[in-house]
Amino acid sequence: MTGMDSLFLIFAVITLISAFLVVTTKNLFHAALWLIMTLFGVAAIYVLLNAFYLAVIQVIVYIGAIAILMIFAIMLTQRVMNPSGRIFNKNWIIAALLGAFMFIGLVIISMQTGASKTTLPQISGQLDTVSELGQALVSPNAYVIPFEVASVLLLAALIGAIFVSRKR
Amino acid sequence: MAIEFLPIAILFVLAIALAVFIVFLGSIFGPKRYINTKMMPYESGMTPIGPGTRRMNVRFYLIAVLFILFDIEVIFFLPWAVVFRSLGLFALIEMLVFIGILLVGYVYAWKKGALEWE
Amino acid sequence: MFGSINTSMILAILPEIMLFILAGFVFVFDLVWDDSQRRNLGWISAGGFSLIIMISLMLGTPGSDSGLVWGGMLRHDWLGFAFKMLFLFGATITALFAMDVEDLGKKGEFYLLLIFSTLGMTLMASSSNLIMLYLSIEATSLPLYILAGFFKDDDKSTEAGFKYFLFGAMASAIMLYGFSLLYGFSGTTDLDAIAGVIKAGGMNPVLLVGTLLMILVGFGFKISAVPFHFWAPDVYEGAPTVVAGFLSTASKAAGFTVLIRVLLTSYAPASDTWMMVLAIISTLTMTLGNTLALAQKNIKRLLAYSSIAHAGYILIGVVAISELGITGSIFYIIVYLITNLAAFGIVSVVGRITGSDEISAYDGLSRRSPWLGLAMLVVFLSLAGMPPFGGFIVKVLVLASAVKAKLFWLAFVGILNSIIGLYYYLIVLKHVYLYRSENEQVEIPVTRPYAIGLIVLTIGIILLGVVISPWFNVSTIAAKVLF
Repeated sequence: MTGMDSLFLIFAVITLISAFLVVTTKNLFHAALWLIMTLFGVAAIYVLLNAFYLAVIQVIVYIGAIAILMIFAIMLTQRVMNPSGRIFNKNWIIAALLGAFMFIGLVIISMQTGASKTTLPQISGQLDTVSELGQALVSPNAYVIPFEVASVLLLAALIGAIFVSRKR
Repeated sequence: MAIEFLPIAILFVLAIALAVFIVFLGSIFGPKRYINTKMMPYESGMTPIGPGTRRMNVRFYLIAVLFILFDIEVIFFLPWAVVFRSLGLFALIEMLVFIGILLVGYVYAWKKGALEWE
Repeated sequence: MFGSINTSMILAILPEIMLFILAGFVFVFDLVWDDSQRRNLGWISAGGFSLIIMISLMLGTPGSDSGLVWGGMLRHDWLGFAFKMLFLFGATITALFAMDVEDLGKKGEFYLLLIFSTLGMTLMASSSNLIMLYLSIEATSLPLYILAGFFKDDDKSTEAGFKYFLFGAMASAIMLYGFSLLYGFSGTTDLDAIAGVIKAGGMNPVLLVGTLLMILVGFGFKISAVPFHFWAPDVYEGAPTVVAGFLSTASKAAGFTVLIRVLLTSYAPASDTWMMVLAIISTLTMTLGNTLALAQKNIKRLLAYSSIAHAGYILIGVVAISELGITGSIFYIIVYLITNLAAFGIVSVVGRITGSDEISAYDGLSRRSPWLGLAMLVVFLSLAGMPPFGGFIVKVLVLASAVKAKLFWLAFVGILNSIIGLYYYLIVLKHVYLYRSENEQVEIPVTRPYAIGLIVLTIGIILLGVVISPWFNVSTIAAKVLF
């Protein structure tokens, strides 16, 4: 086992354990904190995969903004700090079985076929991925339309959020 | 390479270790007196007003949503800014369109009073 | 790698660009005008939408080449173009119907969100890449979630918005997981390239079916096919009636375009696999929709179940996997969009005055407002599939395609369902024409925007059923793209 493998193992375990705690913790607030831990673990795995900018996005957007939004949303709801009621309903066994089935199935298929058969486009693997991303985002031969549509989507979300939360 | 992230990893480990160490020291050497005033939630030194678990105002949510949206905008800016010199006019126009669209949202938020507290 | 843009690329996204400019106009006027003038935003939106249709028809029609533009993100072909025009038409009518709705017609947000949603739909129709596809589906859905819950003070509307959002987010998440698996195992996000990988046998059959089912969850939610239909009755009932009309027509049509495109390009090499799945979904959707519609007392819920049933009929044409079948489906979507928009328009008019969406509120409608009664007759007979209206010819087309594909049992189920459908549509008409009510003297006024919209739609329904060839030809050209 190389150093990279052991690092991956450490972060994978951190991610999985905290993800498990997210869904089993009774206190929603604590669940949100565990979610931050999960997101952090995923960011670390991105780093191990050489996807540095993605790791930065993960930290800035997910940990920095979305987790905060979730915590706000939790604090907006009543009866959070003294939770009552069960967190699982009758269907949890079915859900767990489905999840396990999905997981085992994917593992088996991955082991049979390996990763994708087509060759993925090569990227330089250095920190320079950022500039390649920048180029792809505004190139008419790549992702310029999704890029602009993303801003329209953000605008619609903004208008919607203001409309919903504003008093009349 | 991922090895360039080693300093960050060291920083994390040190930070966690230091925090654990300080709490540990406190629990060993600190005097343990449980008086009423001491068990109160801390609110900048004054006597707390109301319970600490009350509902927050919905405005915080709106601020957080606005923050996310502009945060994502920044995420798109950075890769573009890195290569913008070599891409020329078209890339500039593309980014201006992108900013323009979100600026519309900003004007909307402003005019509808979403940025005001009361 | 960095390419340049040319005119054909701009022309391919001409409707989208103009939609955005229209949004800018609405935005500015919303800020400048005060409340007494804001109703005119409806005229601006409706006029703008129809202007976009006209300009696009003059300048932006697709050529005969493959039409792949913007680095393979979009495809400028007749399938996409025909549907774009259809969505724009639906948005025009929706803007007209919205103008006189209280708490909604004078709100700039409504028109802005309507435009953004339409923008998302036009992109859905032409997406040729998984990334583009997902982004445009989200750009369509997000404004619709808010529109469904537009009446913030009304519990039912809030519930509708919330229900739609939760179901939609769940379906979208499962679909996205399917997309990511598809990308992970095929190594490409391009719809055609995925077809290449599948054809070359590069996908494990289990995985193929798995991703297909996950993607169908997302699409099935959009078209409200069984078993992803639960949201439809509650959302239609609670949402503002105009929004319900838009949801059940344009949004559903958008779902069908991506369904047809993805199944018949990416999954075309595996058509034997999905044909059976889709045939079962189609059967269940028709049967469940029609049988549950029988018991409804609320006209919006009845229309919701009827709209579920119609999704089943449209799927028959897709199951046939032939040029005739797809032509029939596309033609069916055109007819269905126009008919159902009219149905929800009438419900909106009546609901404004009577304040009720119960079917019993329609007692004696033909005496209270003869023209409205006539429009209702045309709409419901068309929904039931009676000649000479549009609903008849398209039902014949999809059933014929099923017979031609040797799917006799499916055609039989379709015919059986049409009979059940006829029964509950006629019951509504019985309320309108035969029953009396005590306030027959109270007229139901139809304001000008409603009148324009309803006249256009009613004439459209008749034209679709009588002058068949132009619509049939457009549908054929659009269907030819896929074969």
